[in-house]
Amino acid sequence: MTVQDIVNRCQALFDDLDFQAVQDWKAAAAGRKAIGYMPIYVPREIIHAAGMLPVGIFGGGDQLEVIHGDAYYQSYICRIPRSTIELGISGRLDCLDGMLFPSICDVIRNLSGMWQLLFEDKYVRYFDVPQNYRDDVGGSFYIHELQQLRDDLAEMAGREISDEDLRQSIAVYNDNRRVIADLYALRAKQPWQVPTSEVYLLLRAGMVLPVEEHSQLIRDYVAAADAEQRPRRDNCRVVVNGVFCEQPPLGLIKSIEMAGCYVVDDDFLLVTRWLLDDVPLEGDPLENLSAAFLHRSAATSAKFEPDKQDKGRFLIDQVRDNGAEGVIFAAPSFCDPALLDRPMLQDALSAVDIPFTAFKYAENTGQLQAIREQAGTFADSIKLWSA
Amino acid sequence: MQITAGIDIGTGAVKGALFRSDGGENPEWLAKRTERIRRRDPLDLARGAYDAMLAEAGVEPDEVAYVATTGEGENVDFRTGHFYSMTTHARGAVYLEPATRAAMDVGALHGRAIRVDERGKVLTYKMTSQCASGSGQFLENIARYLGVALDEVGELSQQADDPEAVSSICAVLAETDVINMVSRGISTQNILKGIHVSMADRLAKLLKSTRVGEGMVLMTGGLANDSGLVAAMRECMAAQKLDLALDSHPDSIYAGAIGAALWGAFRHRKLAGLEQLAEAS
Repeated sequence: MTVQDIVNRCQALFDDLDFQAVQDWKAAAAGRKAIGYMPIYVPREIIHAAGMLPVGIFGGGDQLEVIHGDAYYQSYICRIPRSTIELGISGRLDCLDGMLFPSICDVIRNLSGMWQLLFEDKYVRYFDVPQNYRDDVGGSFYIHELQQLRDDLAEMAGREISDEDLRQSIAVYNDNRRVIADLYALRAKQPWQVPTSEVYLLLRAGMVLPVEEHSQLIRDYVAAADAEQRPRRDNCRVVVNGVFCEQPPLGLIKSIEMAGCYVVDDDFLLVTRWLLDDVPLEGDPLENLSAAFLHRSAATSAKFEPDKQDKGRFLIDQVRDNGAEGVIFAAPSFCDPALLDRPMLQDALSAVDIPFTAFKYAENTGQLQAIREQAGTFADSIKLWSA
Repeated sequence: MQITAGIDIGTGAVKGALFRSDGGENPEWLAKRTERIRRRDPLDLARGAYDAMLAEAGVEPDEVAYVATTGEGENVDFRTGHFYSMTTHARGAVYLEPATRAAMDVGALHGRAIRVDERGKVLTYKMTSQCASGSGQFLENIARYLGVALDEVGELSQQADDPEAVSSICAVLAETDVINMVSRGISTQNILKGIHVSMADRLAKLLKSTRVGEGMVLMTGGLANDSGLVAAMRECMAAQKLDLALDSHPDSIYAGAIGAALWGAFRHRKLAGLEQLAEAS
């Protein structure tokens, strides 16, 4: 397969708001179930261990007209809950047998309540995560949450989810994290070979494909990208920050690249890179998942940072480890987690002389010229005036 | 000394400039080209302009150290890098007139006031919104309604004796204004001058908001050589107590391409210093 073949397939999956790939997976064998999840992070290993398909639901993008969704929310919040409601009410999510709403903000918490009222026949769970990172406090709490999810899904599956089931699923997701880490490393090394618009589509494909198939797809892409030489441009290298929940339109990502920026790291689709290392296969699988969350997860704006001194360190490391020259803060309008963190992150960057620029978007932002201009002038300023 | 090229793809025309420069002072301008787009593919025109400049200067493609695009040139496949229009117009304006401390870039679909320093670095800028009333495309439409060639617009405007005010906010309303004026028998000269004043009033406000307070203002972009607009700009600046000299340059339409080529040379020198360019294709 060529790069273009793979990208075309990912683009088709990205464009399909009817989730045909999920329907096809379910139809391939009797009794299969699919569980949707919202951003930012859920332990997909448990869903996989139950024999179910985890399906990432990241809003309706810029191709979905929101008619019903606006009736459920006030105007001064982000767009992803409205378009998700629209997806649900219009029947596009009928292929899902349940939905998980991970803890990220009040809006998503409220959405979980609405889902319970709107879809009484579906499994709906607000998936809470620890804000305290001591093993005996947050750890105990989180293991209880994981066990509850395990029990619920086991009941739906009609069978027990054994420790061995979990270990096998952890191994499969460890592999997925490794191939994605390889993909990101390749992009950081040769960003002209691996455009972020393609990386993004590859990650989005992982929201609807079985994880094993997704891992192979990324391996195929890396091999194809290696075999195809693309022209290198004199672009600046940036980290994009704040894009972890409501997704920017694909055109916005392309606009940033067209404006002269190579994106060498980001916080898109964090569910795929939330855990930074392999989760150990030995020992209790839930304890291992919990420890990975507490001690080895991405310290982005989507995760509470108890020590103010450490705020921004993860982002600075992203910049330095990937040879970036600046940061583009792109956050959805009204996104509390991203926008409330932004001033603290900007202060941290300023303290170490890392330049940045910032703007807001919505998933259906159509006018990209202003963003292109802003990213373009930022790229110019880095290329011409930074040390 | 390195040879660098700038390609500026605008809405109405493709401009090119070829320089020999060490990335610092005293660059040598080797060749220039401009092509009106007229429904042709801008990327083909960019290639043609580039090849023609190389031929005129007797330069082989592999002698060009950096091809910089600007404007809508991000898709030019032979570019080394791309600079945003504001960055390049600022540099081009200072090249054309070293005393420039603000560039007034008026193109087919936009107007921008850019305050710069003596190096051509952008200090601040203000630009029109997406409305087309302060732009060349709007003026071109009006000229067509009036049956006037674009080249004649400036001279006719300066013959006005009683300019008729038009809407300075909306291109649609302004076009309606013009139709009414024609039916009322207002002369072409007075209509054109009224439009120039309407545009200049907005542009002067943009300029004032950049807080430029010294040096001169250079008009750049496709409308820089519209003498009627330049004259109206001077009047509006005086009316708004903006005490600065404003001028245009015969090569003002090349400001973006010039700036791209010169920043390309500057960037080439910087990259060479960082030992990065050797890896670039």
